[in-house]
Amino acid sequence: MIKKISLTLTAFCITIICFAQDNSGEFHGDFDLNMQSYQEDELIGAKAADEIILNNAYLNINYTKGNFAAGLRYESYLNALLDFDDDYKGNGIPFRYATYKIDGLEVTAGNYYEQIGSGLIFRSYENKGLGQDNAMDGVRLKYSPLKGVYLKTFIGKNRTYFTYADGIIRGADAEVNINEALNFESKTKIIVGQGFVSRFQADINPKFKLPQNVAAYSSRLNIINGGWNYSGEYAIKLNDPIGSLTAEGNNYANGNALMSSLTYSQRGFGIIAEMHRVDHMEFRSERAKEKQYIINYIPTLTKQHTYTLLALYPCATQPEGEFGTQVDVFYKIKKGSLLGGKYGTKITFNFSNIRGLEKGIKYDIDNNEVVEISNSFKNDYNDFTPKFFSKNGELFFRDINLEVYKKINKKIKATGILAKQSYNKDVLEGKTPGTYGTVESTIAIADISYKIKKGHTIRIELQELLADGGEGSWSMGLVEYTISPHWFFAVQDMYNWGNHDVEKQLHYVNINCGFLSGSNRFAIGYGKKRAGIFCVGGVCKEVPSSNGFSLTISSSF
Amino acid sequence: MKNIITLFSFIIVITSCDVVEGPYLIDDGGITPADTSSNTYVKKVLIEDFTGHTCPNCPAAARELEAIHDVYGDQIIGMALHVTTGFASPWTGAGKFEYDFRTKWGTDWDNFFGISNAGLPRGMVNRTGYPNDHKLGKNEWLAAVITELEKEFDFGISITTTISGGNGSITVNTELLNDVNGNYNLVVCLTESNIINWQKDGQSDIENYEHNHVLRTVLTDEELSTSSSYTLGDEIETPITINLSALEQYNIDYSANTAINGNGNAGGWDAANMSVVAYIYDNTTKEIVQVQDAHLMNE
Repeated sequence: MIKKISLTLTAFCITIICFAQDNSGEFHGDFDLNMQSYQEDELIGAKAADEIILNNAYLNINYTKGNFAAGLRYESYLNALLDFDDDYKGNGIPFRYATYKIDGLEVTAGNYYEQIGSGLIFRSYENKGLGQDNAMDGVRLKYSPLKGVYLKTFIGKNRTYFTYADGIIRGADAEVNINEALNFESKTKIIVGQGFVSRFQADINPKFKLPQNVAAYSSRLNIINGGWNYSGEYAIKLNDPIGSLTAEGNNYANGNALMSSLTYSQRGFGIIAEMHRVDHMEFRSERAKEKQYIINYIPTLTKQHTYTLLALYPCATQPEGEFGTQVDVFYKIKKGSLLGGKYGTKITFNFSNIRGLEKGIKYDIDNNEVVEISNSFKNDYNDFTPKFFSKNGELFFRDINLEVYKKINKKIKATGILAKQSYNKDVLEGKTPGTYGTVESTIAIADISYKIKKGHTIRIELQELLADGGEGSWSMGLVEYTISPHWFFAVQDMYNWGNHDVEKQLHYVNINCGFLSGSNRFAIGYGKKRAGIFCVGGVCKEVPSSNGFSLTISSSF
Repeated sequence: MKNIITLFSFIIVITSCDVVEGPYLIDDGGITPADTSSNTYVKKVLIEDFTGHTCPNCPAAARELEAIHDVYGDQIIGMALHVTTGFASPWTGAGKFEYDFRTKWGTDWDNFFGISNAGLPRGMVNRTGYPNDHKLGKNEWLAAVITELEKEFDFGISITTTISGGNGSITVNTELLNDVNGNYNLVVCLTESNIINWQKDGQSDIENYEHNHVLRTVLTDEELSTSSSYTLGDEIETPITINLSALEQYNIDYSANTAINGNGNAGGWDAANMSVVAYIYDNTTKEIVQVQDAHLMNE
C-alpha cells in the first residue's frame, strides 16, 4: 500500500517537474484543519477522548496547464473527530488524478467524482461535514461528438474510507440538447438524458441465486419555455438482493424512483411545485447494506434550513420508500407599496409533506410470521408492490413555513420565520416504531442585523421551538459582531428548558471568534454541542454530544 | 441523425445486466460440510456477533449466523456478545429486558475493536481485516467465512472437560501441524445456549426468544507459549481449573458494580447448555487462526 502510494507520488512529482520546467502551468490548492478537544460532560453525555485532542486535516493540490490537469488530496485523521466514522484513521493520499482534454474528448484516470442526472442511480461525491466521500478510482471518458450531444462513460471502484469496495461500477450517460443538436431555433428548449449504471460483484452465495451484474437506468427530461421550467427523471434499479443466506434478507424486487418538478418564475415572483416517489432504490457498490457503499443519491424534498432550531429535526430521505410533495412560493412586495416600504419585502412560503408508501403484508419464512412492509418486496414467498399514490402512507415529515425578509432602513435588516413541523423520529432516525413517535413542533425565528458604522455590524438571532415530544421545547439566542473584513465574534446559547427530564434542562453555550486575512481564515471556539442529527440535502448522520475547544484553519492559494 | 443513432446504440451495447428468475432458493447449494466428527483437524471459523437484547435489528444477524452454520455445519462457531449501554443494559421495573447479558470481556473487546461505534448488529469473522476492515455487517460475513475456510491452518485444537457439581477442569490441547514462527495467544471462554429471555426483534418484544452461544466468561487469554517458534508435531497442553459459581458471581458483581446501568441480574447459568470455545489468535494481526468448541458437560 505504502509502496503503491509512494510510486504514485513519484510519478506525480515527475509529471509536475516536467510540466513546471517551462513555467507556464499553474498550481492551486487549499488546506483545511479542524481540531477539537473533548472533555467529559456527563449531563449532556459527552465523552472525553483518550487522545484529548482529535484532528482532521486536508490538503488539495491541483496543477493545470492548458488542457492538462492533475492533482491530489492528502488527508490526515489523527485521530478522526468524534463525529466521523473511526474507519477514517491515519494519513494517506486517497485522491489523485490526471486529466486532459483534446478535440472534444476528455480523459480522466485516477480518482474522480461523477453524477448521472440528479443522482438517482449514481452520485459519487464528497462532503466533509457529513464525513462522506465515495470517490471513484478508475477511468472516465467524456466526449462531445457534435454540438449539443454530451456523452460520458466511466468504470471504477468506489472509495470506502481508505480502501475500495468490492463491486466494479460501470456507467454511461448521454445528454442531448435537442435545440442545439438539431440546430433548431425555438422559444422552447428541450434537453433529454439517458443514464445507465451497472455493478459487478461475484455471486458466492451457496443458497440463493444472485444477479452478478445489477443494473440501474434513468431517463430525464428538461423543458424550458420562458419563465416555465419542467424537469423530470425516472429511474429503475433491477433486482439487487443483499446476498443474505436467509429468505427474508433477499429482496429481489426492482426499485424505482420518479421525480418531477415544475417551476414558474418572473421578476419578483416564483413558484416551484415538486413531487417524488421512491421505492426500494438504495444502490450500493456492494450488495451488503452498509452506508459506506451507497453510490446513489435521492435529493430531499424539504427545505434546507440554516437556522439551528429550524434544522433541529431535519428530514432524512428514505430510499426504501417515500412519497413526497413540496410547494415553494417566492414573492417580492414592490418598493413603495404599503407593505413593501422603501426597499420592498420578500416573502417565501414553503410546504412539504413526506409520507411512507402504503403498507402491505409480507410473510417471513425464516421467522414464521407476517410482517408489514411498505416497499416493493419479492422473494419465493412474496411479491408486493405498493400503490403509486400513497396519500395514506405513514407521515414521515411535514414542514409549513413562512419567511419574511425586510430591509427596514440603511442600517437594519430583519428576517422573521414561522414554521410548523412534524418529525417522525422513529422512522427518520431508524428507531423501532413506537419508541418515540412523532415530534410536533412550532418554531419562530427573528434575525435582526444592525450596521453600527462602516464595517461594524451586530446581528441577533432569537429562536424558539415549542414541542411536547422529543427533547421538548428549546430557546436559542445568538449575538454576532462582525468587524469587516477581518474579525467576527459570536456567542450563542441553546437552552432546552422544556425537557421532560429536569436534569436535562441544560444550556449549550458556544463562543466563537474568527480572523480572516486574505486567503486565510482562523477560528477558535469553545462550547457544548448537543447530540443530534446533521443533514446535508437529505443525507444525514448522527453526531454525538461534545464539550471542548475547537480550532479551524482554512487557507487557499 | 446517424450520429445520434450510433451514440444511442453505443449506450445500449453496454447495458448488460442479469435478471434472476425465481425460485431464488437453490435447494442444494452444493456445499458438503466438512466432517467434524472424526479425529482429523479441520479449519473452523469464529463469528463474533456483537448484539444487544433491545437492538431491534440484531436478531436478523443471529439468523444470518444460524443460516451460515446450516450451510457449513460445525466448522462455524458462533458467539453472541451483548454490548453497549443503549442496546444491552437491563431495564428497570418494565417487566421485560431486565436481564444483563453483558460481560467485562465483551465490553473490553467492543472498545478495543470499535464494533458498536459502527452500529449494531455487526461482527467479526475470525477477527480478520483488523484494523481497517474487520467490522463487518451481517451480509459481509458469508464472503469472509468463505475466504477463511479456504485458508491453510497450522494449529489443531482439542478440548477435554471433566466437570461435576460446577467444579472441574478443562484441558485444551494444541497440536502444531506445521513449523510456525510468531506470537500467538490462546483464549478459552464459556458460552451458553438455549437461554430463554426477552429480545427485541423488529417491532416486537419477544418474551421467549432463544439466545444462543452467549459469551459468559473468559477463562484465559494468554500467550500460547513463551517461545515464538513452534515445530511440527509440538503439543501444548493448557489445563484450566474452573468453579462455575465463582465465575457466575464475577458477572453478577460486574453487572452490579461496574457496567453502566447494570443491576446484578446476570446469573442463572445452566452448565448443561454451556460450551467451551478455545481459539488461537496471532498477537500481531489479531487474526484468529484456529478455533474449537466442545460441550462443557460430557453427557
